[in-house]
Amino acid sequence: MSGTVTPLPARAGLLGAREDFASIGRAVTGASAHTRSRAWWIAFAAACGLLGVFAVTLAWLLLNGVGIWHNNNPVVWALDIVAYDWWIGIACGALLTSASLRLTGAAWRSGIDRIAETTAILAAAAAALYPIIHLGRPWVFYWTLPYPNTLALWPQFRSPLVWDAVDIISFLGVCLGLWYVGLLPDLASLRDRAFEAVLTEAEERGRSRRLTLLKAQVYGILALGWRGASTHWERWLLATRTLSALALVLVVSLQTGASVMLAGTVLPGWHDTLLPVTFLAASLLSGVGVTAALTVLVRRALGLEALITERHIALMARLMLALGLASAYCYATEIFSSLLHGDAYDRAVLVRRLSGSHAWAFWIIVVFALLPVQLFWFAPFRRSGLVVALVGVAAAIGSFGDHFMLLIVTLSHDFLPSSAHPYSMGAWGLATLAGSIGLFLALLLLGLRTLPMVSITETRRFAERHPDGRPSGERAPTLAETAEARLWGISAEFDDAGALAAAVKAMKERDLGARIETYGPVPMRRAADILGRPAGILQFLALGAALAGGTAFMAMCLYATGFDYVFDVGGRPLFSWQAFLVPSMSFGTLCGGLTTVLALLFQNRLPRLNHPAFAIPGFTKASEDRFFLALEAAGPRFDPARIEQALARLPDGRPLMVRRVPL
Amino acid sequence: MRQLFAPGADALLRLALLAGAACLAALPVVGAGLVRSSYVTGVGVAPAQPVPFSHKHHAGELKIDCRYCHTTVETQATAGIPPTHTCMTCHSQIWSGSEMLEPVRASYAKDQPLVWTRLNKLPGYVYYNHAVHVTNGIGCSTCHGSVTDMQLTYRANAFEMSFCLDCHRNPEKYVRPKDQILNMSWSPPANQATLGPELVRQYHIRGGERLTECGICHR
Repeated sequence: MSGTVTPLPARAGLLGAREDFASIGRAVTGASAHTRSRAWWIAFAAACGLLGVFAVTLAWLLLNGVGIWHNNNPVVWALDIVAYDWWIGIACGALLTSASLRLTGAAWRSGIDRIAETTAILAAAAAALYPIIHLGRPWVFYWTLPYPNTLALWPQFRSPLVWDAVDIISFLGVCLGLWYVGLLPDLASLRDRAFEAVLTEAEERGRSRRLTLLKAQVYGILALGWRGASTHWERWLLATRTLSALALVLVVSLQTGASVMLAGTVLPGWHDTLLPVTFLAASLLSGVGVTAALTVLVRRALGLEALITERHIALMARLMLALGLASAYCYATEIFSSLLHGDAYDRAVLVRRLSGSHAWAFWIIVVFALLPVQLFWFAPFRRSGLVVALVGVAAAIGSFGDHFMLLIVTLSHDFLPSSAHPYSMGAWGLATLAGSIGLFLALLLLGLRTLPMVSITETRRFAERHPDGRPSGERAPTLAETAEARLWGISAEFDDAGALAAAVKAMKERDLGARIETYGPVPMRRAADILGRPAGILQFLALGAALAGGTAFMAMCLYATGFDYVFDVGGRPLFSWQAFLVPSMSFGTLCGGLTTVLALLFQNRLPRLNHPAFAIPGFTKASEDRFFLALEAAGPRFDPARIEQALARLPDGRPLMVRRVPL
Repeated sequence: MRQLFAPGADALLRLALLAGAACLAALPVVGAGLVRSSYVTGVGVAPAQPVPFSHKHHAGELKIDCRYCHTTVETQATAGIPPTHTCMTCHSQIWSGSEMLEPVRASYAKDQPLVWTRLNKLPGYVYYNHAVHVTNGIGCSTCHGSVTDMQLTYRANAFEMSFCLDCHRNPEKYVRPKDQILNMSWSPPANQATLGPELVRQYHIRGGERLTECGICHR
């Protein structure tokens, strides 16, 4: 067991038995080839068709206003807010899954976390449109943000409209940060495979095609010059954990904030103290459901059966069962407490939910979200990809029923008989929903075709070294070539992280006038420990930035509402700090997330597209299955011949190849 | 091994990233500058008029009272644009053959009003009342600038909401005694700090939250 982040006793059914570093990389980077099929094009055409519906709907919406959705008093929040809450619920659930699996060190996150993060981003992208398009005048959407304006006004910070704007920006920021930082090493793999294709082409045809080179360079720019140095890896691990922690805080704040928003009204049925927990459980269930369905899809469509195993699917099924039970408990408690100590209005809301004109929404929750997961008490259903996918989609549909029931059934009838008016979904509301699903699917299909949908790095934690210790095939520069040139350093190639660590230890003890660095496809904890370069204080920087950002936002709200723009809103207190807490938390996590990403890049001195290490012969393998020890010339005592001798006499494990690397 | 990127690529990437960040930062700055510029607000730009009427000559040098033409300024919401007849009270006698005044005479002969290009416009949802302001201590020049110095008339202030709120939040900084309302070169005297609150009391202006209620201007 070498080259792993944390030593694991066995693969525990989470990785195919025959997989190694290289085969995992090949499986993931080559997976997009599976999408070059007719099925992909048909699906993409369908998604684009839905996108077209979306475009038509939005055009009609801009011409006619939000009335086309049948929003009116008293149901002022209709399908637009239902769909927004639904999408953001899915996004929160998926992100929370990925973040908590990473923070708890759950081994089975390997095949799942990338899909969960992708789900979160795509769902958040679909959600992000709603707060904008549901404004009467969407083109002045920036009025919801605080900016120096000619109106001498501040946005109304007590309004959920402002919360939504800040929340969705923060969610996208943190989520994209986590996803992209996780993606960096995988993009480096894609770059190196593409570059190998360029080199092969150049060898076979004399020169490479422009398009092949362009592909490698696009991946190269996206990977920001990631080269897998040991200190980079250590900081990367810290950064992904920090971002996960921030995501956890953000999701909890967002979902409980949504229930606080409802509790801020005077409507019956929105004041149960369990509501924040109900929101979180329902959001998690829908997020895990969609993630599970996409996991099954990715597994089948991209041929990744060895990396996403039956055990992954079964664990997702167990998670869904647990969340389904938690959700059922929450609903039951709500009903029970309404019956036990609710007033007449509370009980009336309950009766309307269960048997009113929109009772179907409640029964959708029961039939689609709460009952199907009970199948997972039985092992055969847990192992069936099809069943897990269908139950996952059903959970998402059930969650839509939940948001519909919670908002629309409650709004359509409050305390006064005079303010009860029926509501019916219009075709345009449904078309908008279908269009947003089209956006989700179209982006997903593009992602399947271009990006690694399974984290290579996470999956490699279970893998061993390449069983066949061949040196890489590239011709070494002969002494004649390098004798005249100035040397950058000496490189030694290993196929095993253990041998690498031993070599680092041996070389570090001697004064060779060289700076030692190691490069590899996975974090090299032992080598990094021996080198003694700590990962730094990234998490404290993030915490500081989050606290500073959150405090600054809160201070801005207090200053605006308490001093600069004193405005009586129905007798609410000037310093409504409780209301300002939701956007302040979101903004704080956004600041923390951005700081983490920027600090990671700055500490690692990235982006760096051209680096002497890339000139190490066979360096593309550093993202596949090889480890490189580089001794960079640093000082007058640097003597290539002496270092080569020392490398040849390593006590345990000689390098596969020792090379001189010109500057 | 070959490098995928030439050594210059990093400089280019950094330049591109910096340029992108600069553009992103510049976008709101440029936008904010643009909406405040004369190009958008029209402040200081004298548009072409059917007759090059000079407030400086008539109101400044000849000292014709503002209210001679803008008759309803003290009694109605609008100050009033004078009809051609008002011009002809003098110009039927003086400069009666002037070529420059030909459109005025034509308007009088055909009984069709002159079509002036409007300078000061408020949105339809702002209910502004001249009478309330000029009878309660707000002078012409506070909004319209030193009109008696304008050879050709131009807009002196962009009537953005912040402009109105400046005064509605702090009326004591801008109120003047009754006899100063028509003074086009009025500026706050040295004792405005004590005079202002006194005048606010005299005019019965209820400042603070009353003047900044939405319904004061928007109904």
